[in-house]
Amino acid sequence: MKTILNRLLSFTLLLVFTLAANAQDTRFKVLPAEQTGLKFSNTIVETEALNVLSYEYFFNGGGTAVGDINNDGLPDLFFTANMGDNKLFLNLGNRKFKDITQQASPQLKGRQGGWKTGVTMADVNGDGWLDIYVCYSGKGEDDMRRNQLFINNKNSTFTESASAYGLDDKSLSTQAAFFDFDNDGDLDMFLLNHSNKKIDNMELARYRKDVDELAGSKLYRNDNNKFTNVSASSGIRQNPLTYGLGIVVADINQDGWQDVYVTNDYNEPDYCYLNNKDGTFKDVAGDCFRHLAQFSMGADIADFNNDGLPDLINLDMLPEDNKRQKLLQLQENYESFELMTSQQLHKQYMRNMLQLNNGDGTFSEIAQFAGVSNTDWSWCPLFADFDNDGYKDLFITNGYLRDYTNKDFLRYWGDYKVRKAIDREPAKLMDLVQAMPSTNLYNYMFRNTGNLSFTNQKEAWGITSSGISSSAVYADLDLDGDLDLVVNRINQDALVYENTSDKKGPVNYLNIQVQYKDKNLFGIGTKILVYAKNSKQYFEVNPARGYLSSLPANQHIGLGTASQADSVILIWPDQKRQALTGVKAGYHTISYGANTIPNSPAPTFQPLFSTVSKSWIAYQHQPVEINDFKRQLLMTFMYSQTGPVIKQADLNKDNRMDLILAGNPNVGPDIYLQQANGQFEKRQVSLPASDFNRFISDMEFADVNGDGHADMYLAMGGYAYQEPGDSSLQDLLYINDGKGNFNLAATALPATNRSAKSVVKAQDVDADGDLDFFVGGRIVPGAYPVNPESYLLINDGKGQFSKASIPFAEIGMVTDAAWADLDKNGRKELVLVGEFMGIHAFENENGNWIDKTGKLFPSGLNGLWFSLAISDVDKDGYEDIIAGNIGTNTQLKFDQAQPMELYYADFDQNGSIDPFLNFYIQGVSYPFVSRDELNDQMYSMRRKFSSYKDYSTATMEDIINPDELAKAGKKNATESKTLVLLNKKGRFEKQYLPAQAQFSIITEILTEDFNKDGLPDLLLLGNKSDNRLKIGSIEANYGCLLAGDGKGGFRYIAQPETGLKIKGDCKSALTFQKEGSSYLLIGLTGMPIQVLKY
Amino acid sequence: MRWIIICIFLFTAIESKSQVKGFEQELQPAVFSLTMVMMHDVVNPPAAARYYTYSTLGAYDFMAMLNKELPHPSTLFRHYRELEINPDVKKLDVGFTAIYSIYEAGIELLPSGFMLEKQQAAFEEKYRKKGITAAKLEYSKEIARKYVAHVLAFSKTDNYNKLSARIRYTPSKQPGSWYPTPPGYIEAVEPNWRTIRPMLLDSGEQCKPLPPVAFSQEKTSAFHQLAMEVYEVANAASQEQKEIAAFWDCNPFAISSSGHMMVGFKKISPGGHWMNIASIASTKARLPLDKSIYVQAITAATLMDGFISCWDEKYRSNRIRPETFINRQIDSKWMPLLQTPPFPEYTSGHSVISAAAAEVLTHLLGDNFAYTDDTEIMFELPARTFSSFRQAAQEAAISRLYGGIHFRDAIENGVTQGKEIGAIIVSKLKGSVVARGPVNNR
Repeated sequence: MKTILNRLLSFTLLLVFTLAANAQDTRFKVLPAEQTGLKFSNTIVETEALNVLSYEYFFNGGGTAVGDINNDGLPDLFFTANMGDNKLFLNLGNRKFKDITQQASPQLKGRQGGWKTGVTMADVNGDGWLDIYVCYSGKGEDDMRRNQLFINNKNSTFTESASAYGLDDKSLSTQAAFFDFDNDGDLDMFLLNHSNKKIDNMELARYRKDVDELAGSKLYRNDNNKFTNVSASSGIRQNPLTYGLGIVVADINQDGWQDVYVTNDYNEPDYCYLNNKDGTFKDVAGDCFRHLAQFSMGADIADFNNDGLPDLINLDMLPEDNKRQKLLQLQENYESFELMTSQQLHKQYMRNMLQLNNGDGTFSEIAQFAGVSNTDWSWCPLFADFDNDGYKDLFITNGYLRDYTNKDFLRYWGDYKVRKAIDREPAKLMDLVQAMPSTNLYNYMFRNTGNLSFTNQKEAWGITSSGISSSAVYADLDLDGDLDLVVNRINQDALVYENTSDKKGPVNYLNIQVQYKDKNLFGIGTKILVYAKNSKQYFEVNPARGYLSSLPANQHIGLGTASQADSVILIWPDQKRQALTGVKAGYHTISYGANTIPNSPAPTFQPLFSTVSKSWIAYQHQPVEINDFKRQLLMTFMYSQTGPVIKQADLNKDNRMDLILAGNPNVGPDIYLQQANGQFEKRQVSLPASDFNRFISDMEFADVNGDGHADMYLAMGGYAYQEPGDSSLQDLLYINDGKGNFNLAATALPATNRSAKSVVKAQDVDADGDLDFFVGGRIVPGAYPVNPESYLLINDGKGQFSKASIPFAEIGMVTDAAWADLDKNGRKELVLVGEFMGIHAFENENGNWIDKTGKLFPSGLNGLWFSLAISDVDKDGYEDIIAGNIGTNTQLKFDQAQPMELYYADFDQNGSIDPFLNFYIQGVSYPFVSRDELNDQMYSMRRKFSSYKDYSTATMEDIINPDELAKAGKKNATESKTLVLLNKKGRFEKQYLPAQAQFSIITEILTEDFNKDGLPDLLLLGNKSDNRLKIGSIEANYGCLLAGDGKGGFRYIAQPETGLKIKGDCKSALTFQKEGSSYLLIGLTGMPIQVLKY
Repeated sequence: MRWIIICIFLFTAIESKSQVKGFEQELQPAVFSLTMVMMHDVVNPPAAARYYTYSTLGAYDFMAMLNKELPHPSTLFRHYRELEINPDVKKLDVGFTAIYSIYEAGIELLPSGFMLEKQQAAFEEKYRKKGITAAKLEYSKEIARKYVAHVLAFSKTDNYNKLSARIRYTPSKQPGSWYPTPPGYIEAVEPNWRTIRPMLLDSGEQCKPLPPVAFSQEKTSAFHQLAMEVYEVANAASQEQKEIAAFWDCNPFAISSSGHMMVGFKKISPGGHWMNIASIASTKARLPLDKSIYVQAITAATLMDGFISCWDEKYRSNRIRPETFINRQIDSKWMPLLQTPPFPEYTSGHSVISAAAAEVLTHLLGDNFAYTDDTEIMFELPARTFSSFRQAAQEAAISRLYGGIHFRDAIENGVTQGKEIGAIIVSKLKGSVVARGPVNNR
């Protein structure tokens, strides 16, 4: 007994020791300034004259540059301080640094009274020694803002020479990037500037052509160390609306010429400048990206998923936690958003954007999928492999000294002015400044999981110092084979994290310094491809990245378990290719060599789909111009947009399929009859003239009267304009005369106007030889999320229908339906999916409807389903189900353990349904609604929560008392992923589809052998842009083709291989045969019908 | 003859039993405390007028119960019924009860009404110290609360709480339609205010104004000329015109942005401004408390009806603001002197409610009633002196042209609309004149 106790005790002790050891043994360790000698702090002193209210970029922070200024192999550091002295530190080795500012050049400290910003280390004059360029901004006189260039005297001293080089620019500068934009062998300069006067009017397209010499960015061309301002002819934007905060240089489109990404704060969109190879740039941000960060700050470009393509991240300021989301200002103004998009400012949202390069000129924004979208007031993102596992991780700095968007503070501000006025006292800015709350925030260290996502390693890796962090750099400061971190902070010592990976075991890495020629000896713009085992990694030598920072020119490459790189391929700026094989782990310098060969462009292959140059159907969809949230303020999505709808049927029995298109508000379907020559004859079907607000949401073609011709059923949808019972919600049945002419059978259908419908499917339900209809109810107009009525309409054989009683008449908000014999018992089940619904199956057994859901499907399938397809994907003779969900690339995170919940009732008894969406944030379920929205929806709440702070921690029970909540309606969702249910002989098994299928809402699923390998594939289409602004447009799907392996497994086919670049909200899609060829037809909201051949 | 009437008033007042005097001086601070909370809450102009109405109605009903010379609110206000209680007047303090009820109503009605609790307590403490017995205070409070509860129940039937169930305004892209304006691009304020039950009018449509000048982008059109007038007047505004515009700005929430921060500079709403004018005039006329309360209550109801009528037209014509039109057609960088408020342009709200209030105040306190308006001093805007309420209303109306936020027809037709509203209300008030002329002019 005693021994057992002893053993237990020692085991416990052992456990404690192990835990304690683990706690200290984090990957990163803070090195105190006393130890390193890096005594530097960006000290900000707030005064009545100079503070965040008088200068809005007061807390944007100081810059950090890392580079080897004395060519001794050790990375040295330079920090800028906005108000205090800049400092240059020489790396003495062994993690010791020496402040050599005074000896190197007293001027390096910066101009007294000037406002220093970004700093860059670059070999400006091409002599092989790093020079230092310091930017200035602020409210001072022009001459206080002239940027400084410190030329390296090759003896650890510098001479300020900006004027001699023509670089003593007096703009309001954020940062400079040196790179060779014209491929002439020397470094040119892009100077990123910002405006200092906010222009609130958003109808100012004409401002965009103005040139503001101080605010607009500038491009300087280097001609023999004389820099010439060539901005005017370069195509870059220089208007007073630009607020440049971040710049990254990279060959974004992989054409061998350096491109530039510039982020802009506020309403001005970011610019993605592609190099036109003729000294000019073209901004393609609107083409490449579906949406952008609104208050864009720092940015980085790197290939984080190891597919050889550079990806982009840029930062914004959406907090991670519920409390700060509720306390700080968020985007909720639909009016200004609408104006923003109408002014070609693109869709911009307040969150970090991770733009995954699809390789075809498009990017999928997946920050929410990847888990890196909400990192609060973030400045500097850096992609680098901090754990040497072969995948680039992501470090993000965070912090702002004053929470000046705190909504309680904003209210206080208004009252303060009034109170001071009443007391006849002058309003003091400092009173306000000091009233602003200050929150120390944590930085983020995301480990790349290798499957397109990241996990925060704050605790595990020891990135736990809080503060106000600004710029940051990484470098292997101690040459021990792992990347250390240095962060420039406000009012605190610079933070130095030593990476101790090497002490935890062997680290495999390459550190490659390239040596190029001419005046670009550091090889800026060189590409490095590293192959090790089965992995490929891609790097570009471009120190301009992050925020106010410049990074090492040498590239640090983690090799994971490989002790060497199988091969290293360099593509030099002159597009020569140089290959090395069997490169051992460790430090290497690779010089531009004789054994280079011209780099041949990557082989292009014939994509599976190609856009038909001239579409044969001139159908242009007209969107419904309405904001559904004006009717029910607290909904998450809009529902009015139902079109376009595309269907095919042989309407005139000529053995050629005809096309039917519908969906324009209050307009009947257009019939396109296919002629023998492949042309189409267009006919129009008119809707009854008496009503308006008709929105066709689905069509079905079925012979209802037994004359052998396909008749037409029109299901009516919509939301904003209708009331339940309106005649405009009544479905319509048209009888085909056999020649493709349709006549309304005005009395054929019973009343179907209690709900807006989404789907209609014909089936002989009662086995009486005629076709009946199931019509799925989508929503009750004005009463989301009350269960709408679905209908089963029974045919009397002559085309006269009556409403059957069904147990699933109010099953939920149905989005899609299908008839299929899932259990192979000879009777077809009705399969239903919907929003906040499970996947359901009902079978008609001799007039009795049997719910087979529980028998067939696993539990926990409540989701936000938008589509459904039935197909035997594993070729076992049983029909499988593919169901399209909302995906995981949204703010709405939910699963079995942390379900998303929707409570609804007319809580304030004013005649409107008050829906409250709740989902988990950091382990607690909170209402999604902001205090302002809540107050607008329920006036009584204005009293309940007297401040934003009061509301910031409120859960559902704090808003509605438990008694009332218990009486309210409740829906939940536990599954967000698009998946396949594999039919194992009548019992279904859940299998998730690949990551790319989860990037967006899936609204259409086509099953076919698209790649013609004999196995069934899936084509997933989707997107939905009409959502709450806090959700934003969900549109990372450009057409996702998943190749099937015939066993139920699927593999994503890259976009360049498929040729799919579908941009927009897909509402319908089908494959169509014409003249022996296959076509893909896609209906996008507000767009012409897309026709692709395959 | 006038002297006699005044004497009767004085006599009535003196005769008012063993009551504490001086509550006349408590009325303005009480109503103004509501104004302060409404500023804090950024209550929009139509909603503010509604709050003033219900906050003063209890006190008015109570006073009308005691002084049968005052027309009872149930004879004036649609659907309003008298509170049928018979309080023992000897056990309460009349002035205290009335003023207390105003604070109490504010606490109950206003979103941040709790902010008034301290002031209400201080008010009670003051009169406790002045010698009102605890029993009397308690009974007075009890009666005040009964009136407030009665009014609150009445307020719940005016459709206000159904507003959030109605479809809001989606900006139209039609060229002449109102579109949200810089810098805040705030969503249209109270698009369904027409559905609120008016106090004295039959409906919001009763005083429907002439239609606005037809929209046109043609340079020769009447509409373009209206826009050019705003542009030119604003660009050449004199110092006095600028002062007038600022004096009547009354924007509850003019947004100013600094970086990421959008802050609102708060001011008293147009209705709040006229409530204070009514206070200033009542004080100047040395009205006793009951008459002062009557003036406050009728002014508030007039403002409420004025806004209902005006908002009915605003969302009928949905007309574009000068700033939007001028930016699109004349000068892309032009900004009006005042910040454009977030609702359609036609008719001018300040014109309508100022004209209506001026008619009613003229009826109640006399024409050519000169007074000095120091309401805006707290916003560093010097006091202005007016020879009559109507002169003030005219100035308030035309200030919107100087301020660059209204076209002339919205001002002129708005004044006509307001006068009509005023005339209808005055006709209902017949025989209830409080003072026959300005006290100071005799």
